[in-house]
Order: sequence, then C-alpha cells, then structure tokens
Amino acid sequence: MVKKITQKLYIALMFIFLYAPIAVLIVLSFNKSKSRAKWGGFTLQWYKELFANQQIMNALYTTLVLALVSALVATIIGTAASIAMNSMRRSPRTIMMGITNIPMLNADIVTGISLMLIFVAINYTLGFTSVLIAHITFNIPYVILSVMPKLKQTNKSTYEAALDLGASHMYAFRTVILPDIFPGIMSGFLLAFTMSLDDFIITHFTKGPGVNTLSTKIYTEVRKGIKPEMYALSTLLFVSVLTLLILINRTPSEEKINKRLKKKAVQKESNSKFRIFKPAIILIVIAALIVGSFAGMKTTSGKNTLNVYNWGEYIDPEVITMFEKETGIDVVYDEFEMNEEMYSKVETGAVKYDVVCPSDYTIQRMIEADLLAELNYDNIPNIKYIGKDYLQSAEAFDPGNKYAIPYCWGTVGILYNKTMVDEPIDSWSAIFDEKYKNNILMINSVRDAMGIALKYLGYSLNSTDRDELEEATNLLKEQKPLVQSYVVDQVRDKMIGNNAAIGIIYSGEAIYTRRENPDLEYVVPKEGSNIWIDGWVIPKNSENKENAEKFINFLCRPDIALLNFDYITYSTPNTAARDLIEDEDIRNSTIAFPDSATISNCETFKYLGDAMTAYYDDKWREVLSQ
Amino acid sequence: MNKKKWLATPYIIWMAAFIIIPLILVVYYGVTTDSGSFTLENVKNIANHDNMKALLLSLKLSLISTVICLVLAYPLAMILSKMQMNSHSFIVLIFILPMWMNFLLRTLAWQTLLEKNGVINTLLGYLGIPGIDIINTPSAIILGMVYNFLPFMVLPIYNTLIKLDLNVINAARDLGANSTQTFTKIIFPLSLPGVVSGITMVFVPALTTFVISDILGGGKILLIGNIIEQDFRSSRWNVGSGLSLVLMVFILLSMAILAKYDKDSEGTNIW
Repeated sequence: MVKKITQKLYIALMFIFLYAPIAVLIVLSFNKSKSRAKWGGFTLQWYKELFANQQIMNALYTTLVLALVSALVATIIGTAASIAMNSMRRSPRTIMMGITNIPMLNADIVTGISLMLIFVAINYTLGFTSVLIAHITFNIPYVILSVMPKLKQTNKSTYEAALDLGASHMYAFRTVILPDIFPGIMSGFLLAFTMSLDDFIITHFTKGPGVNTLSTKIYTEVRKGIKPEMYALSTLLFVSVLTLLILINRTPSEEKINKRLKKKAVQKESNSKFRIFKPAIILIVIAALIVGSFAGMKTTSGKNTLNVYNWGEYIDPEVITMFEKETGIDVVYDEFEMNEEMYSKVETGAVKYDVVCPSDYTIQRMIEADLLAELNYDNIPNIKYIGKDYLQSAEAFDPGNKYAIPYCWGTVGILYNKTMVDEPIDSWSAIFDEKYKNNILMINSVRDAMGIALKYLGYSLNSTDRDELEEATNLLKEQKPLVQSYVVDQVRDKMIGNNAAIGIIYSGEAIYTRRENPDLEYVVPKEGSNIWIDGWVIPKNSENKENAEKFINFLCRPDIALLNFDYITYSTPNTAARDLIEDEDIRNSTIAFPDSATISNCETFKYLGDAMTAYYDDKWREVLSQ
Repeated sequence: MNKKKWLATPYIIWMAAFIIIPLILVVYYGVTTDSGSFTLENVKNIANHDNMKALLLSLKLSLISTVICLVLAYPLAMILSKMQMNSHSFIVLIFILPMWMNFLLRTLAWQTLLEKNGVINTLLGYLGIPGIDIINTPSAIILGMVYNFLPFMVLPIYNTLIKLDLNVINAARDLGANSTQTFTKIIFPLSLPGVVSGITMVFVPALTTFVISDILGGGKILLIGNIIEQDFRSSRWNVGSGLSLVLMVFILLSMAILAKYDKDSEGTNIW
C-alpha cells in the first residue's frame, strides 16, 4: 500500500516538474502587464489581439505548413526506406541505420550549420524551401525508427502466403503488411510533426528573409520581451492538443468491446489504433487549413516587393501596413539581434535584402567592405526633416552621407532602482562596486561592455592599444563575480520586476522601463559613454533599390517618424517629428534628447578592422568563460 | 522481397545530398583557412584555454544531467510500464505533449520560476521558507537540461520495459530470486539497450546546447555550443567548423556505443 502511494506521489512530482513551466505560460497569457516579471491583473485581451497580429499568424501558418509537409514527405520517404532496408542483408542495413542515426545524434547546431553551408555553397537562396529540406532531413530518421520495429514484428510468411494465393505485390502489401505497420507509420508521422514544430536551432540557420516559424519569432522576441500574444497562442495550441488526447482516451470501452466481439484480435487492435490517430491527423490538417486561409492571405506577389532587415521590435508594425497601402509594395520583414549577425548574412549574399538598419560602426564596416549602394537623394526628398547635427555626426562613419540615413540614436547608460541604491548614481564606478554584488545586470555585447570599461579607465572606447585593452579586460574579469547576469534587452523585464538594482541599458529602452516602473532612473555616467546612431542603408545586391529608397523616404516623413517614436521610444533624429510630440515631458526629456554637454562627452563607435574585432571578441570571451 | 530495394533510392539520394555532403563541407571548412589553404589551426583551437574550459564544463554539465535524467527516469518508466494503460501511445503523448509549447518558451518559463523575485521564491516566501538562488548558475543549466531532455530518457527505457517477456521474470521468481535480484540480474540487464539509447539521446543534445545556457545561465557561463554559435554569428566559419569537428568526435563515440548495444540494428530502442 505504502509502495503504491509512493509510486503515485513520484509520478505526481514528475508531472509537476514537466508541466510547471507550461502552467506558468498559461498564467502569463492572461496577464494584463506586458512584462513577464509583473502580474498586472486578469485579461483576455491578448487572445483577441492574437488573431489581429499578422506577424504571429503568418509565423503560425509557416510553422504548421512546414510541419505538415515535412512530416508527410518524411513519412513517405522513411516508410519506403524502412521497407527496403528490412529486406536488405545485414551489412548494408547496418550502414544505412548508421547514417539514419547521424541527424538524430548529431548536434542540432552542426546539422543546421552543415545544411546552411551546403545551401550557400551551391548558391541556393535561403528561404522557405531550404527550411523545408532541412526539416525533412531531420524528420526522416524519426519515421524510420518508428516503422522499423513494426516491420520486424510482421510475419513474412503471411505476406508470402498472400502472394502464393495469387495476390499481387501491391495488393499483398496493402492488405497484409500495411495494417500491421500502420501504427508505426502514424506515430512516426506524429513524432516528425512535433519535432518540426519544436525545432529552433536548425531553422535558425537555414531560414531566409521573411520566413519565420514560431520558434524563430520567439527567439527574436526573447531579448526584447515576449509578446503576450505568443503565450496566448501557445496556450491555445496546447489546450487543443490536450483536448484531443483526452478524446482519444475516452474510447477504450469501444476497443474492448471490439476485441471481445471479434476473434481476430490482432487485426482489430491495429484498426483501433488507426482510429486513434485519425482524429489527430484530421485536426492537424484542419488547423493548417484554417490558419492557412486566414493568415496565408498575405502572400508576396512577384516583383513589387521590398526585403527589410531591421532590429527586433524596431518599427511600429502599423507603419509597414501604411507603407504597403500607400505604395502597393509588399514588404517582407525580417529581424536581427546583433550587428555581427546581420553583417554575416548580408556578406554571404545567401539572402538579398533591400534595406537594412545597422549601427554606426557596422555601417562603416559595410562601406569599407564595399557592400553598400550609394543613395539617390532625388528619391529621398524627406531628408530635409532630419536634423543637420545628426547628419553631421553621421559623417564620422559615412563621410558625405553617401550611404546612410539616420533612423534612431541614443546613448548607453545606467538604469538603476532608486529604492535599491543608497545614493544617486552618476559614475560607472557603481557597476564595479562590491556592495551591489549580484545586483548588477551587465551588457552582453562585446563593443558595449569593453567600451564601458575603457571609458571608466579614461581611455577611448575605440582604443586599439593592447595594454589599455588588457587593463579593460582585467577590470571586466574582476567585475564578473559581482554580475547577476549578462543580458542585452532582457534587462528591461528584469529591471521592471525589481530583480536587480543596476542595469546597463540603451536610452530608448529607459523611457519604456520607467513608464512601467517609476522607481527606475536613467543616467549617462560622468566619465562619458557611447552615443550611437542606427541608419538605413541599401546593400549593393539589392534587387529593389527604388522601393528601398521609397521606404526610407517614407520613414523620414514627420508624421510617420512620430508614430514610430511613440511605439519604439528610441530618440528620433527627425527634428520635425520631435516638434510634433505632444507630451512636453517627453519632448524635453533629457533621456530621449540629452543636452549638448552630455553628447559632447560621449563617443561614437568606429569599426576597428577585422583583426582588432577578432581581438576584442577573444578578450570578451576570456571574460565570459572565466 | 528483394525487389523492394529500389524503395530506398529516394532515401539514399536524400541522405547523400543533405547529410553526407554537408558534413563533408563542415570537415572542409574545419581544415582550411579563410583563403582555402589547408590548416589544422581551427581544430587545434580547442586547446585554447577558453575553449577547452567551455568543452570541459559542457562535458561535466551534460554528464551530470544525464545521470540525473537516468535516476529520475528509470523508476518512472518502471512505474508507468506496470500501469494498465489503454494505449501505449497515451504515455508517449504525455511526454511529447509539452513539446507543443515551444522549447524556448518553456525554458524561458523556468527563468520566471527561478528568478530572484520569481514564482518559486515568492511561494516559498509565503511559507516562510528561505528562497533558492540557483538562477544564472550551472545548477540552473543542469535543471534546464534535465527538464528538456527527460522525455528522451523515459521513452526508450519505457519502450524496452514494456516489451520484456514476463515469463523470464516469472521464471526468475520461481527459481527463488527476490525482487532485488530479479531487478539487478534480469530486468536491468534486459533493459540496457533502452538505457543506452536514452543516455545518448540526453547526453549529445545536452553537450551541444547553446540556448539553455543562454537563457538560464545569464550569459555568465559559456558552453562549447555557445562558442561555436558565436563563431558562426561573427562569420568565423572556419574556426566554428573546426570546433564542430571536435564535437563530432564525441557524437561518433556515442554512435559506436549505441551500435554495440543495438546489434540487430533494429532501431527499436529509441522510441
């Protein structure tokens, strides 16, 4: 008796462990606050907004179609291969099983990278098809491994008996073998479907512009904070599958009766299993179709398109819709999280973007690597709304403003929680202070982190002096035990949720976080900091240059720039738009628009060359791996 | 049934094009420089202090996770296999059901649970119990690995256990073996193929993950997966491929072990 209870208790504990995070996600889907760290009351708002969110619906559509098609193709290829392998002699079979095991056992990251390399090598443009091929590749083994055991169990003699009795190969297969292996095929299919649904790493490496599955969409959102609609969608998906599972298990009595009624228990069993999986497939197909007809409306039609590559959460989706409506151009929108990541994608040429939004030093790097096309100012008359000062500072990385139009700018500074520190902070020394141990969120980005250390030491943040860099590295190493975690945009949620006292943040994020948590204060330390400008550029391999210029011109329109500013809260260089800001506090906010004293105390990043960049990378890795 | 061999043709072509050739390409990048000349520098990079450290840490964490998974999963699989279930697929579905909630979201949810002011600590606070502080430490990464890969350990073990011939166990009992003896001498050895495939299915992904360490390690802990990912992110393909080659050695080792226990190459054991 005790044993029974312990067993039940153990199972219960394991289920709590497996399903606790899922419960958290379901709760979050009803959270009024956008921040993961704060409970803002109950709401059904996200469920409503979910269906209006084109991006998420498109991602869902892609995910389901991808999972369905890849699972279907994998099931056909895999089942055929299993049947063939089953009739092979031992040694070829062992070799083939060995190859089958490769994608299952190989690290996802290696599989993903190797597939990306082959697509780049044969000059195949990454897109939906490349992801589909990748998914089929890693799905086939799951099918084979589900079908093979069932084939082993089938009795060869029955099949031969059928042939002897005059059945054709096809007929004998259909009536004798297929019913026996059908449950295996079905579970292979379901497994493949699920694996495709859940994959992130391989999709991440093989996807092209505008192709987003739920996984890759979520990954870009991880840093900026997950949109609550995503929790709502996951909850819906989960609940529908759970319901299905319960429905399936409601039919055991029927199964038992069947077994009792008919003596041919074996065949009946496989039939009833067939019945079990049938609804699953039907549901999947229907879901894909519904979503398909719903979200699949927005298909890009041939020539008049524009491939935009921008930072995550760095434009108001409304702006894109307006642009599409006004110009009739279809925008294919894609997001990146780091300059370096964007650079390598544009450099390989595997993806042809029309307009990209890198930061200052990366623009310089792209100019030097001859990756950019010169802008035709005749097509961008709205440049007149951009402040002269900003164009002038942009000349630091783009002499003559030939290649880039400033989009957003800002500083890097310290965000601190007034209730958790003793005195107002005005120096970088705070983030190296022993008393804030475990309460510091350091920035996880090479140039920013090294730049801060260099500035604190009184050097230039573009230093190429190895002694100075060594000193900065040592300072960062000493700081490491004090750091709670290294983050980029997750600093938002953590600071809002009072999880740390001090964080490093971009000024644009500071406005948002202070809105959510009034205890927070932003400061640009007195030692000086980084002032950055992100600008729109057009890659040389763009196939829609005029559309790209139209897009840039559109973004420079004061009303559009204002709309964008309200949404992303990053400072705009568009002086005409700034004058339109109604809220006086924001228009004169020193966070959004710091005074000239602060600005002159700050430096812009410059590209330091490949060798120096690699040196910085190595030094930063030294800090992180300590 | 020999005529059926042609059915494998599409599969063979597919595998050659999208598994074998890509792997050869990784090897090629791994042993060449940017300009295409032969070098072993990329592979030797693993001996570099930081990379070695990351590799050793990855090995350590993935070994610990594998052991924990095994210890948790075996009893669970035993209990489940003895339960009278309507269908075998129900159990399988229970374990793959969480996968319908995205992997990244699930891992992120652990962050919400474990954080300093997170759900667990808030609950413990109500009960007057001191909170736990494992977020951003290796322990949190291990937890994330165990959580994400536990199903891959439970299912293969469960699958071998339900296929055990009850007669063998009964015979052991009849011959006077007590339950401990039956377990150590009969049940466990017979379930070994499931255990072995479970171990490889947990160990390899744990060894190579970069997402779990990213989300639960707070960026403070670099595993070998993170290093390779960073290399590819900053267009250092050759170095990244070189390090991937080192990883492949471990994967080949796992495959060799798996093949040894899976003599009939049936592939029964994975699912």
